[in-house]
Amino acid sequence: MIYLDHNATTPVRPEVFDAMLPWLRDGYGNPGSVYALGQKARAAVERAREQVAGLLGAADVSEVVFTSGGSESDVLAISGAAWQAHDETKGLRRRIVTTRIEHDAVRGLLTQLKRRGFEPAEAACGTDGITPAAGLTALIDDATAVVSVMYANNETGALQPVAEAAAAARAVGALFHTDAVQAAGKTPIDVKALGCDLLALSGHKLNAAKGVGALYVRRGVRLSQVVTGHQEKNRRGGTENVAGIVGLGLACELAGRELKDAAAHSLALRKRIEAGVLAIKGATLNGHSSLRMPNTAHFSFTDLDGHHLVVGLDLEGICVSSGPACSSGASTPSHVLTAMGVPAALATGSLRVSVGWGTTDADVDRFLAVLPKTVARLRAAAVPA
Amino acid sequence: MSGGVDSSVAAAILVESGVETIGVTMKLLARAETGFGCCGSPADVDDAKRVCEKLGIPHYTADMAEMFESKVIKPYVDAYLGGLTPNPCVECNRSVKFGHLLGLADAWGCAAVATGHYARVENGRLLKALDRNKDQTYFLYSLTQKELAKAQFPVGGLSKDAVRAKARELGLKTADKPESMETCFVPGRDVRGFVAARPEAEGASALERGPIRSTDGRLLGEHAGLASYTVGQRRGLGVTAPAPTYVLRLEPETNTLVVGGESETGCSTLAVGRVSWTRGAPQGPRRAEVRVRHRHAPAAAMLDLRADGTVSVAFDAPQRAPAPGQAAVFYDGDEVLGGGTILRGGPLE
Repeated sequence: MIYLDHNATTPVRPEVFDAMLPWLRDGYGNPGSVYALGQKARAAVERAREQVAGLLGAADVSEVVFTSGGSESDVLAISGAAWQAHDETKGLRRRIVTTRIEHDAVRGLLTQLKRRGFEPAEAACGTDGITPAAGLTALIDDATAVVSVMYANNETGALQPVAEAAAAARAVGALFHTDAVQAAGKTPIDVKALGCDLLALSGHKLNAAKGVGALYVRRGVRLSQVVTGHQEKNRRGGTENVAGIVGLGLACELAGRELKDAAAHSLALRKRIEAGVLAIKGATLNGHSSLRMPNTAHFSFTDLDGHHLVVGLDLEGICVSSGPACSSGASTPSHVLTAMGVPAALATGSLRVSVGWGTTDADVDRFLAVLPKTVARLRAAAVPA
Repeated sequence: MSGGVDSSVAAAILVESGVETIGVTMKLLARAETGFGCCGSPADVDDAKRVCEKLGIPHYTADMAEMFESKVIKPYVDAYLGGLTPNPCVECNRSVKFGHLLGLADAWGCAAVATGHYARVENGRLLKALDRNKDQTYFLYSLTQKELAKAQFPVGGLSKDAVRAKARELGLKTADKPESMETCFVPGRDVRGFVAARPEAEGASALERGPIRSTDGRLLGEHAGLASYTVGQRRGLGVTAPAPTYVLRLEPETNTLVVGGESETGCSTLAVGRVSWTRGAPQGPRRAEVRVRHRHAPAAAMLDLRADGTVSVAFDAPQRAPAPGQAAVFYDGDEVLGGGTILRGGPLE
């Protein structure tokens, strides 16, 4: 099997797996317990906190809050910041500024917050998959509670103007959050240089396990609780997922240490993939040619249903995706491609290829050998509706 | 795999036989909350997935809503608006299941497509199911050698009871799922409501009230719009008469519903269009048994293939009320020879 869908999830690295196991066996203590068994678990969690803080360049270890994953981190950041601002300003700050291409975790939350009186505003996206900074900053005013801009888009990999948006948010006293689920561990991120207040990352996107993630919360930032409880310094209730957190910590350390080489490796593979795919008639690249995650390439094919292509490639033992994994199965154009102005017919014929830890040149060879044949067979089979 | 018991067991039989099998559920309606049976509603997709997981085979969905709309639903609506009684299952088999899906399967490198239909294929011959009560060949007549070479019906040799028993034995969650008895995309069997809500229906005369007349032109009452009636229908006419009254004809030109007594429903000849043959057209006239609706006992007739490709059917004995728009399917014993769409029927001239 050839796995080229690292934006959907990633394999757990063997070192990470090994590091997690003791905490599922003998190290089952509750980090909140008084006795030594609990203290050992607490120490493991705190060690992991240092590792995550290290990857992000956090000023203080306590700025890392562990959660159940990227979606929860996003909800804690946006919902927590929005309600905090609401309470502190008696509802005066109710604007939430974001982009049209956020992940469904954010979009769904904003729909809900809108029903509850907040006023989300979405900046338009360019045809290159990047939200122009000017469009974002124009929406940010002193009624803004929180600004949320994803670091890199999950479908196209296009990098968003987070630093500019963060500065604009700071200027009006709003909080700035970035969903960095697709970027953390794959591209260098320094929360201080970026100037963000909140940053979400997910374990399973950087070779740790599913069900664990983290939210960076800059010191001094107050968030209204979402999951109530006293854990994580009252910022996130619930007994800590010790094994998951230990794995996330190690994965962050490894990613940080190998970042440069890994990014160069990904970029070399991506360039080969792009050259190979774009040689197929009717194939185009979606997203900015260079301001993009080194591991992500997103294509559109004419006269093709991307979902059918994904099935065809799976039957050849190749894992890639058309839409995001969460919405697979429906041949409806994604909101991201629609926001970019990709015509519906091309958006339907989309294919996302994302490489990562463990991807080899041989994987790319095989993919590039199979793809043109599968595309040709599907095009030949297409019956006009 | 519709998420029903028949296609579940069809998949199970293939897996047991050692064939490399993948499950596919077609999503046929863009928003299928109400869909049941064959439309790929989320609950049905879930059932099919669960069955495939149990069988240890991959499962995929294939979105064919656009094609289903253009090849099945729209023609269905147009037919009702034109005073015909369409057969959407025939069109779905022709264009979607054994059209687009077969092409997709080919592109995916699959040697065959199996469904949960009750029918059999032997040496390129399309045969009735062993369970005569469940036989679905009436809906499959459009298959030709091209499709029959790749079509498989694994439950065609089983009774419905045996299929359910097998599903229970394998612990498939669809084992006791109720049968779909209605047109899958029409909620609650409300054909009139469905047609009326479509854009094509705007201003259509087939939804307007009009006269009910006898064959000799007497005004007997008022009908609610021709789209609500089918030839042969007895119930819901609102006509008081000493003897049972049946719909004989729908006349869209004058928006008239023509009714009559049982003796007038007899039909000796049929003109059949859009004809296809499972193993090629016959050379010259030939005898066959012709079925004019699902579960109708095939009736002996002479088929005369005309130069324009239509077939003239002459029954040995008059048949009750064939409805234009429905299929006429030609059999030779167990074998389906072919069939087509009933253009019109009438007494022997």
